[in-house]
Amino acid sequence: MNARVDFAVMQPVECVRARPLLGTLVEIAASGKDADCVQLAISDAFEVVERIHNLMSYQADDSDIALINRTGFTHDVTVDEQTWQVLAMSEKLAAASNGLFDITIAPTLTKLGFLPKQVGMPRISGQGNWRHISLRVDNKVRLTRQLRIDVSGIAKGYAVDRALAALQSAGMLTGRVSAGGDLRVFGDIEQTIHVRHPIVATQLMPVVALTNGAAATSAGYFTHRRYQGRWVTPLINPHTRIAAGMNRSVTVLAEDCMTADALTKVVHADPALAMPILEQFNARAIMLEADMATGTCKFFDTAGVNAAGMQG
Amino acid sequence: MNNLDRWLLVPAFIIPAAVTAPAFAVQYMNVEQAQKVLFPNAEKFDGQVITLTAEQKAAIAERSGVRVRSSELKVWVASHAGKPIGWVLLDEVYGKHEFITYAVAIGVDGTVKGVEILDYRETHGSEVNNAKWRAQFVGKKSGDALKLDEDIKNISGATLSCKHLADGVKRLLATYAVVLK
Repeated sequence: MNARVDFAVMQPVECVRARPLLGTLVEIAASGKDADCVQLAISDAFEVVERIHNLMSYQADDSDIALINRTGFTHDVTVDEQTWQVLAMSEKLAAASNGLFDITIAPTLTKLGFLPKQVGMPRISGQGNWRHISLRVDNKVRLTRQLRIDVSGIAKGYAVDRALAALQSAGMLTGRVSAGGDLRVFGDIEQTIHVRHPIVATQLMPVVALTNGAAATSAGYFTHRRYQGRWVTPLINPHTRIAAGMNRSVTVLAEDCMTADALTKVVHADPALAMPILEQFNARAIMLEADMATGTCKFFDTAGVNAAGMQG
Repeated sequence: MNNLDRWLLVPAFIIPAAVTAPAFAVQYMNVEQAQKVLFPNAEKFDGQVITLTAEQKAAIAERSGVRVRSSELKVWVASHAGKPIGWVLLDEVYGKHEFITYAVAIGVDGTVKGVEILDYRETHGSEVNNAKWRAQFVGKKSGDALKLDEDIKNISGATLSCKHLADGVKRLLATYAVVLK
């Protein structure tokens, strides 16, 4: 620890850690005045993520989400304030995108093998969508049809936001939280965001610089699987229930990570329709589309088209 | 007509097929640092290497449903005020794309107290510092896009599924039950 004393006077200490949470690796970095306080802040931030994981896991038996899926049609389910915030934002985005973002696609994900089949859950009609989730007073949630909801398309972004807030309130100078493609930073640092080539996932491409903002990337390279002879990704168009193919990677930049995370699904579902929605949320999208035949990659960016787009 | 035509109004360029595939690796912490964050109150960590017998390996596989590849296991007993407060187990898992070294803390009650990643390495690909590969991005686009960073640490979409890791933790819990408890 002698080294710490020597350097601490001159410059802040940065620590980076990673833990498996939210079904992915969550990485948290922060800098502060000494290693002990930075490690403590990072531990607290991980606890914030772990709590959100436990509240919103689809797989866990006792999460708010599991409770809604099991009993939400017959009873009001009172959820935690954090779950409420995610459900409220989900509703807002679903309304703004006319259902291109929809947390009720879980049955399709189960059919494709991305989510486990669960025993003891009520049968679903298959006709429901986001409009059949009713958010009532006092954090009470009710399903007006038998549905299966899954917030994994937005909760990771929310967890990143909350973890970053924990680092900020612990007095860190800079902070960075990333969780499987969702990333947010604060402090006097510029971060270059790299995304993966949609087909050659080991190839990293620097696409944009980020300061004090959030970025989320969705693509199928690590999550794709084979279903009825076709490669599919867990990126479902809620209107057609068709899974996006593998050749596209979408990165959305926004002020917060929850918005960015959810908007990647809207862009995947329909890039052309996504434009006014991105504008509404003051977000910018960057899309890489690989041409399977030539192996080249086209680069699309809404900055410039979108006057209200964020200045990276 | 492609519905992406509107997007093409912006400066767009074509990135050629992969010429090199850079590897990505991070070292998060060493064993001592992991011990400290997993058991901040511990005053002492006593390490030992446990060699699993064939029977023990079979019992662990049976209990966890996960194959046991290695017969050696590095374990530390964490103690506070002379009393054991838990174990730190060091392990590694590898999949098709990644190689992860990690430590698991197990409390005296037999539950997982924490999991910390020590090293994360992608096993395919070569170097990110390939000048030729990097050069293709320089000057392609003005403004804020495509600035190069010396130290690639912000990969949006970097991480893989944690299935191997989850299996590893399951295997270590079974190891604890069979060997350490």
